[in-house]
Amino acid sequence: MAKQVFSVKGMHCSACVMTLEGLEDELAGIRSLKVSFHKQRAEIDYDDKKISEDEIRRAFEDKGYGIARA
Amino acid sequence: MSFDASTNLLGLAFITGVTTGGLSCLAVQAGLLATSVARQAETDVTAQLAIRHVVAQRKKRSNRRLTKEQRRRELAALATLAQPEKPKRRNAATPIALFLAAKLVAYTVLGIFLGWIGSVLQLSPYSRAALQIGIGIFMLGTAARLFNLHPIFRYFVIEPPRFVTRFIRRYAKNNASTVATPLFLGTLTIFIPCGVTQAMMVLAVGTGSPLLGAAIMFAFTLGTTPVFFGLAYVATRLGEVLHTRFLQLAGAVVLILGLVSIEGGLNLMGSPYSFSNLLNAASVSLAQASGGSPEVAAQPDANGAITIQVYNTGYSPDLIKAPAGKPVSLTVVSNGTTGCTRGFVIPSIGYQRTLPETGQTAINIPASAANGNLRYTCSMGMYSGYFEFT
Repeated sequence: MAKQVFSVKGMHCSACVMTLEGLEDELAGIRSLKVSFHKQRAEIDYDDKKISEDEIRRAFEDKGYGIARA
Repeated sequence: MSFDASTNLLGLAFITGVTTGGLSCLAVQAGLLATSVARQAETDVTAQLAIRHVVAQRKKRSNRRLTKEQRRRELAALATLAQPEKPKRRNAATPIALFLAAKLVAYTVLGIFLGWIGSVLQLSPYSRAALQIGIGIFMLGTAARLFNLHPIFRYFVIEPPRFVTRFIRRYAKNNASTVATPLFLGTLTIFIPCGVTQAMMVLAVGTGSPLLGAAIMFAFTLGTTPVFFGLAYVATRLGEVLHTRFLQLAGAVVLILGLVSIEGGLNLMGSPYSFSNLLNAASVSLAQASGGSPEVAAQPDANGAITIQVYNTGYSPDLIKAPAGKPVSLTVVSNGTTGCTRGFVIPSIGYQRTLPETGQTAINIPASAANGNLRYTCSMGMYSGYFEFT
């Protein structure tokens, strides 16, 4: 298991938070995904045997957002 | 506020809706709807595949040796299986229209509730003024966030609790009714308002009127509808540059709304520092400096009586010069007045009353000291005037 905090780019309002938190249901291997619009961060708890950081990054990019390790 | 001022406010709310509706709130709301529509399509496909599978299996079995009765039952079962779940061509416009209609109704009802809260909170002109200034500051903060001035302005967005967003998201994913799901989801959007919607919600509270609160939320949501419908229907996305332009335009509109709200609050408080009062003071000083007559001011008669006419667009006279140390018998006359100027407030003596549409209202103004001003205003602080005691 891995827990990582990322800074997120491209969020305009709290609607983006909901869009991104939806990844929690879409990606296998994500245990919890908490996004804060105020801090522009995402705290992701995931199983690194099932999903890699690169796959998570690509999923964020597909939704139109950029992430980098905070 | 007068009818004209209300119309302006509603117009601004509508423009804000048009400029931000398809964008600021679209991402998540259209996403919810799309998830639901996609789920319906998925259900249809799965159902069709399941039917085909069962039909194939039963046909295989029906090739076996069967009694007449068994064969009759098999055929009857096949007939009933294929009929009711025959795939239908779905129209994407219907769920979107239902979603938007539910959203419009839900936000209008929310507007009634918010306006009602505002009317309950309307304890005194000062508390109302403070509320209005607070709303103005919230809107300025929202505008600053839309302009992306500083990260601190992100705190002007209230994030809905995670359990609410999670519930709505999962409901959208797991329910596939063509009518109930879009209607329910459209209604639920009131729990996940985007930043600009939140600004409109506080504006609705500030009106202190359920009717006007509903009208503001209706105008705003209606404004969001065409963009939302268009974008959701053709499922295209605006480029980032255009998106930013729209957000800046929305920021400008919210900025104006914020300034209007603060101006109203200051007027309502009787503050000499509101924009209109500063402008008045400047024009008086300018006229005095140039040696001209400063302003045509009305004066009470020998008995200290004076009349103010109430129009939809303001009060006449809006400057009364009265002698200090003497009470004034004020008569306020409304004649077919339907605007919000009927909400008449004199903040410093704590007077507030809704005037009759047509009629006269007598108000006793106590004696005031020299060089003091006594301001009167409408209940939203949009129109005002003052007594100058000399």
